[in-house]
Amino acid sequence: MSDFLLQLGQNPQARRLIKALGLPVPIPQTLRRARGPWEERPLADKVIVVGGMGAGRMAAPVAKMLAESGAEPIVIGDALDAFRAPGEAFGRPARAAQLGELPEGKFDGVVFDASELAEPAALRALYEHFHAVTPRLAAGGRAVVIGRAAATAKTPEAAATRRALEGFVRSLAKEVGKRGATAQLLIVDDGAEARGAEVLRFVLSPRAAFITGQPIHVTGEVTGKAPPTRVRALEKKVALVTGAARGIGEATAHLLSAEGAHVVCLDRPEDDALVSKVARDIGGSVLLVDITDPHAPKKIADELRAAHGGVDVVVHNAGVTRDKTIGNMTAEQWEQAVDINLGAVVRITSALLAGVLRDGGRIVCLSSVAGIAGNVGQTNYAASKSGLIGYVEKLAPALAPRGITVNAIAPGFIETRLTAAIPMMIREAGRRLSALGQGGLPQDVAEAISFLAQPASVGITGSVLRVCGGALIGA
Amino acid sequence: MSKSRRAVVVGGVRTPFVRAFAEFLKLDTIALGCAAVRGLLERTGVPHRELEAIVWGGVILPGLSPNVGREIVLDLKLPASVEGMTVTRACASGLQAITTAAAAIERGDADVIIAGGSDSTSNAEIKLPQKVVHAAAPLAFGKATPGDVLGLLSQMMPITEILPRMPKIAERSTGQVMGEAAEEMARRNEIPRAAQDELAVRSHHRAAAAIASGRFADEVVPVRTPDGRWVHTDTIVRADTSVDKLAKLRPVFAKDGTLTAGNSTPLTDGASAVLLMSEDKARVLGLRPLARLASWSYVGVDPADQLLMGPALAMPRALDRAGLNLGDVDLVDIHEAFAAQVLSILKMLGSDAFAKARLGRDQAVGEIDPARLNVHGGSIAIGHPFGATGARMVTTMANELARTGKQTALLGICAAGGLGAAAVLERV
Repeated sequence: MSDFLLQLGQNPQARRLIKALGLPVPIPQTLRRARGPWEERPLADKVIVVGGMGAGRMAAPVAKMLAESGAEPIVIGDALDAFRAPGEAFGRPARAAQLGELPEGKFDGVVFDASELAEPAALRALYEHFHAVTPRLAAGGRAVVIGRAAATAKTPEAAATRRALEGFVRSLAKEVGKRGATAQLLIVDDGAEARGAEVLRFVLSPRAAFITGQPIHVTGEVTGKAPPTRVRALEKKVALVTGAARGIGEATAHLLSAEGAHVVCLDRPEDDALVSKVARDIGGSVLLVDITDPHAPKKIADELRAAHGGVDVVVHNAGVTRDKTIGNMTAEQWEQAVDINLGAVVRITSALLAGVLRDGGRIVCLSSVAGIAGNVGQTNYAASKSGLIGYVEKLAPALAPRGITVNAIAPGFIETRLTAAIPMMIREAGRRLSALGQGGLPQDVAEAISFLAQPASVGITGSVLRVCGGALIGA
Repeated sequence: MSKSRRAVVVGGVRTPFVRAFAEFLKLDTIALGCAAVRGLLERTGVPHRELEAIVWGGVILPGLSPNVGREIVLDLKLPASVEGMTVTRACASGLQAITTAAAAIERGDADVIIAGGSDSTSNAEIKLPQKVVHAAAPLAFGKATPGDVLGLLSQMMPITEILPRMPKIAERSTGQVMGEAAEEMARRNEIPRAAQDELAVRSHHRAAAAIASGRFADEVVPVRTPDGRWVHTDTIVRADTSVDKLAKLRPVFAKDGTLTAGNSTPLTDGASAVLLMSEDKARVLGLRPLARLASWSYVGVDPADQLLMGPALAMPRALDRAGLNLGDVDLVDIHEAFAAQVLSILKMLGSDAFAKARLGRDQAVGEIDPARLNVHGGSIAIGHPFGATGARMVTTMANELARTGKQTALLGICAAGGLGAAAVLERV
């Protein structure tokens, strides 16, 4: 399972040698990841260059978020006023700078607010900002463009300008990926600026290390009154994680627990030993259920209601592959993949929506990049995984008034027991054919799930968040 | 407790504060504490039998006798019934001792308590690394085999891991030395070097004036060192310092920094002690109460953020608890760990943005007029034996209220570990 190139890349001599010889070997950058639960100041001492904030409504929430999170902003343009009070309150005075004369040193993040751009010629400002700053972006840095939804533009020109940001960010992600850096587009709806700043905190943090090239839509659609808690945000919450015995499920159970949740670890009775160990490590409970069992939804709902009075976070992680080309696939293989990955999710969710899932809750479904993009031998798997996307898209608006968000996560190549079993050449292709040039860890997916489980992610619903290191295949 | 008892301060003294590794080299923290307590008993004339307890604050505690409070009782041959305890809360230890004593008196646990603190940086113990201790354990306890001896030797490499370490004031959680933290606060709160030097000079000039005018004579007791010499006065205060002189000093914590030996507090040896009693007891004993503690507050902040900002949170809280605004307060005394830290706190207290974001208030706590801040100098000039500073401040402010007829004084102390302390003293 070890990634030889990643290890080689950690050796500075080897790195230099490969570069000097001009070998066509992509050397991935070791990603910097977070440790432990969310901290008070996740961006402590990070130098973030901010631009385009003058006219937009993002300046105030971004300024506040950066100062609270411990970042040291450098402000390009005339938005310095918005940064003054937060800078004073948190001892993080913003520095003003011009693109032509940037301060010394590397930058940990670059943020550009393009939400007011309304015509193609105005995109020049985007070019100028990133042209000047990107060469100075540190290894593991973050580039973020803030924009508006093309669909809500008043004119076709404005829509074109807004949509242009997506192509820009996807390309930028591929350019900075070899430095272990990421690029995202936050599409922030009018009135959802404060929620946009919460998502910005996440994508700027090391917790989004394996997420890149993503448009992320932030809406004000979901009811959510109180300002979100960010440290130990899941205290007093109950989380259900299916498939918690190993891999992504296990990592997710650990992270949710670290944020204060009581985690109900669900897996098949055959995996009793493994899932019990996970539950013991995190002080959670065990629920042994075969989710394909027709009685499973009722059993799960009854147990959550009886033992915990309900549930706040539901992570549908359990899944299987039953790969065969369609002609060779047995009906049983088709049934198993579609039923476990999709049918059971729908049935269990329906049962929980009947008075078990509490208001303000979170539903996260594990989709898959391979599933969305399609793969030889995975008609069943891909059908189930893209089916989940349709499910969250339709369910989200219905639950928004109750403050519940529903999202899918689409992992790309993640280093797990499953991917370790793939033949070497295909495995190498899976790892390297991505902007970051490496596989992700279960922790990377768990971090995204954990964020979507928290109050701070109230702006994201009905979305698919890819955790794929910018996989070249996929949406 | 039928009716509310009030604890009052009836007197306080301190030893001269002396630069570390100088005149007080041969006096450890217990000896310094004895000097202060002996002086306090003599000056106040309180009968020894009336004393019920000593509550003592210290930071560098002697490893083999950490209960300094009790050791002082025994060394001074005070009645064995005088019980003793020792508290530690970094640089707020002295104030902690006083508030612990006041709370005990107001709760009815005791009538007469001496509270104070001392530290001798000169006598900080150099610790053997735990690795050596663990490796040597089989040799010290039980019969060592030749194998144990070889095992011990084999574990002594590399040599750097077994060398005793110099004690330093570094945060355990972050490894940051306190001066580095203050340097970072200076940068983040945009405190210029010149303002720091000005504050330091003012501290020296005011302390020097207090010494010259005899103002400190009531509160400083001379100390006789083991070699027979008497130390009568503070040794760190420089009457002749100036902004020009301090401007020449080099930064010590960062290459392009602003903190120098001149605008930071020096390592100091010394002790101070305060006599507290219930109001009734003071009346019976014929002692004049000087002041009481109207309120106090202790807070914690993340040491990895702004280590020494605690007083900016603790002071408003203490004011709230006393039902006062900053404008109502006559005197303010802030422990000067570093001029940059005092100025950072003043800036925070004066900031509307800070008040809104960090205190949940609409408006700034307020500006502090330099004329009522640290009126007789502070730790930069006088020195800072860690555990002794709280009782020094309480003594000076209690005397100041009693002498001038002013009503209230607000105290603020920052401490290692991201702690902050504050108290409101009220004339009685």
